[in-house]
Amino acid sequence: MPTTSSLQIGADDLAFPRLNALSYWLYLFSGILVGVSFFQGSTFAGGWTMYAPLNTPAYIPGEGLGATSVVLALIMFTAAVTMGSVNFLTTMYRMRAEGLRMRDIPIFSLSINLTVWMMLFAFAALLAALMILASDHVIGTTYFQFANDGSTLGTSAENPGASLLWAHLFWFFGHPEVYIVFFPALGAMAEIFQTFTGRRLVGRKWFIISMVLVAIQSFIVWMHHMFLTGINLPIKTIFMATTIGISLPFDLMVFSLIYTMAKGRVRFKTPFLFSLGALLLFILGGITGVFLGAIVLDYQFRGTYWVVAHFHYVMFGGATALIGGLYYWYPKMTGKMYDEFLGKVHFATFFVGFNLLYFPMFIAWETPRRVFEYPADLQIWHNLSTVGGFILGASMLVMFYNLFVSIWRGEDAGESPWKYASTAEWAVGSPPKLENFPGLPSYASGSLEFLDDEEVAERTGKPPGAGVAADGGTASDGGTARNIRAVTAPATPTAAAHETGGEGHASHASFWPFLVSLGGFIAFLGLSGVRTGSPVYVGMAAVGGLATVGSLVGMTRESFHAPEMAIAERWPFEGVEKMKLGMWTFLASDVVLFGGFIGSYAFVRVAYGWSDWHHDLIPAEHVTMPGLINTYLLLTSSFLVVLAMVAAKREWRGATTASLAGTFALGVGFLVNKGIEWNHLFHIHSEMFPNGWTLSTNIGSSTFYLTTGLHGAHVVVGLVICGYMTIRAWNGAYQGDDKPIEYFGLYWHFVDIVWLFLFPLFYIL
Amino acid sequence: MDWKGYTLIYVVLFVFATIQAVVEFVGLVDSAYWLAFGIIMVLSVVKAVGVAAYYQHLISEPRSVTYMILGGTLGAIALTGAAAYSIV
Ligand SMILES: [Cu+2]
Repeated sequence: MPTTSSLQIGADDLAFPRLNALSYWLYLFSGILVGVSFFQGSTFAGGWTMYAPLNTPAYIPGEGLGATSVVLALIMFTAAVTMGSVNFLTTMYRMRAEGLRMRDIPIFSLSINLTVWMMLFAFAALLAALMILASDHVIGTTYFQFANDGSTLGTSAENPGASLLWAHLFWFFGHPEVYIVFFPALGAMAEIFQTFTGRRLVGRKWFIISMVLVAIQSFIVWMHHMFLTGINLPIKTIFMATTIGISLPFDLMVFSLIYTMAKGRVRFKTPFLFSLGALLLFILGGITGVFLGAIVLDYQFRGTYWVVAHFHYVMFGGATALIGGLYYWYPKMTGKMYDEFLGKVHFATFFVGFNLLYFPMFIAWETPRRVFEYPADLQIWHNLSTVGGFILGASMLVMFYNLFVSIWRGEDAGESPWKYASTAEWAVGSPPKLENFPGLPSYASGSLEFLDDEEVAERTGKPPGAGVAADGGTASDGGTARNIRAVTAPATPTAAAHETGGEGHASHASFWPFLVSLGGFIAFLGLSGVRTGSPVYVGMAAVGGLATVGSLVGMTRESFHAPEMAIAERWPFEGVEKMKLGMWTFLASDVVLFGGFIGSYAFVRVAYGWSDWHHDLIPAEHVTMPGLINTYLLLTSSFLVVLAMVAAKREWRGATTASLAGTFALGVGFLVNKGIEWNHLFHIHSEMFPNGWTLSTNIGSSTFYLTTGLHGAHVVVGLVICGYMTIRAWNGAYQGDDKPIEYFGLYWHFVDIVWLFLFPLFYIL
Repeated sequence: MDWKGYTLIYVVLFVFATIQAVVEFVGLVDSAYWLAFGIIMVLSVVKAVGVAAYYQHLISEPRSVTYMILGGTLGAIALTGAAAYSIV
């Protein structure tokens, strides 16, 4: 998918190749950590929703170290996803071929773009949930459990919001996640419809608007997963309305696909059959989902086979489109054609098997989900389902055989085996070369061309940015069906043409991303068992932590250059260099991360009783002054960062160094002040809190230490960067080039802004 | 923006933070909690916007960057607001 969409937008690589390697290795090691968790006694057994309080150590049988490992592995995975999202978005907004406006990028790439936007925000909320859960596991906060010391089970009066908090955080992620899985399938479906009807999507603009609407609306429907919890009726009603509302843009997309079929001349090749099948399955899945979105019906349908059937019609329906996509892009990936007859056999058996498996579940909907007993008169339907399941499974064997054998026996596919395929990936050889294109792609003339070195040099010799003909492009993915091979015929690959602007293809070979991930893996494995006090676990946590930090420093020091594209389409982020855009994108997800933490605090406080909170849970020794002092320290440090920028621009080396050193000192002061304050609170002996006010004392102390602790961790990261930059400034760096200071400042000021809210929330109100 | 502008912003931020603490020291939090809550949160929002606009230079970036951050912020507010409302 990444390859297809980078081909479709005309990029030769991702914006940050090394970050891509890092997210890959983190992803791999997160999987290994889940694997290891099976050998730590027992692993996590709470299902994919991981509902509280059963996800906390007090409710997990045995030591539960494997469960902790899984939570930590998911954090690692989520970190990888976030890095990937930042990378993808920066690529799509900074590296599109000239003339390729956002609205013109192929529909599949657009679906990926929206998927990644949803990932950026949804996974940040999941990260918040997982970090809080991990903290409950590892350092003993009490967000998700009623128990206060891990051994005795307390009452819900101590933390009445516990289990609903998890449901909110999880489903705020969980519903967008469903669309994150589904959207690429939707994009593939639309792409394949266009190619095999030989027609541009009818109402393409409305199709795109609908996709954007769905992506946004997906964040305001999450409580339809909570209709049977104790949330109040007004909010349920609102979420019923938003849920049914989200089906409207989907309806538009469905009609668009149907009209495209009606207006074009359909060729029933295998990829199209699967896409059409997916559309039919999705229509049925969508309609049955509207039933579930109605509160009253959900009371009946929840936890039954109705849900199972609906879910599979939607999600497996999506997978059906992806199978179509696999056939569609198989010639591009391998350079060979699959066997069309076997493909059709696969579709026929697949479609029959699918419906035989899942449709009877609607009829036998009274069967309880996840329970193997059901009324005897429903047995015939279950028998039918079983037969369907075997047919469906067997049909996939036909595909594996077909695709495997075709690698050797298939006919050569050439650049494009599809008559009306009009997107850029079909304009290059199959399989595509590592550098993707024979030259710098451009749509400036209205159709796809590849610029060689000389043309690029000539164009970029003009004032930067001025040469980019932003309005010159026309629809790239086929305003009307046309044969891309004819279009691209003049673009003969010239020797060495892939080198854009004299820069070679960035080397991806770096050991550091691997070492960072390995260190993280060891550290997390250690963290899973530190609560036992075992020296092995504590040692692993320490060694792994050091290895991670050391490798990160090594990665920073390694010289690495991935050049920006010489000429590219960059709306709506023209003028925001890729590092800056990457930083802002990351900060947008960090906003949601902190939002999740602050939101959790607000939620459990409301659940407890907003006004009683301060009286019942917070000691008198917790005063405003340390917070106010820290506010002054951070504000001043932010001020010094902007002064450092001014000094660097004017090439005042001493002032640059002094300002950065001042920032560093103030940040250290912030942490020292916080350390003194925490130490004091840990050891108070008052009547209310005879044993101090620690992380596990109550939900008030848990939220205070963890939220300000997350912020403190951000300060520590900032200080590492700031210290490094101070030394570089001392050695003469940044003079006349304040950009690195500006990028660091974006982060530092953000940390400052977060504190501007934590201070009143945790010290005054 | 030059150092004078930055300094002006800094002074305003400093004063606003002090006002927030003063609101507590004069006892407004005890006597009129929700009024104090309103004043303090509005001041925090103004400070945050000031830092983002002038120190992070959002004011001179394409508006799309602001929208992106606002998107994340709106998501966080939706989560907090709707979740809290669901149990009152
Ligand atoms: Cu949902």
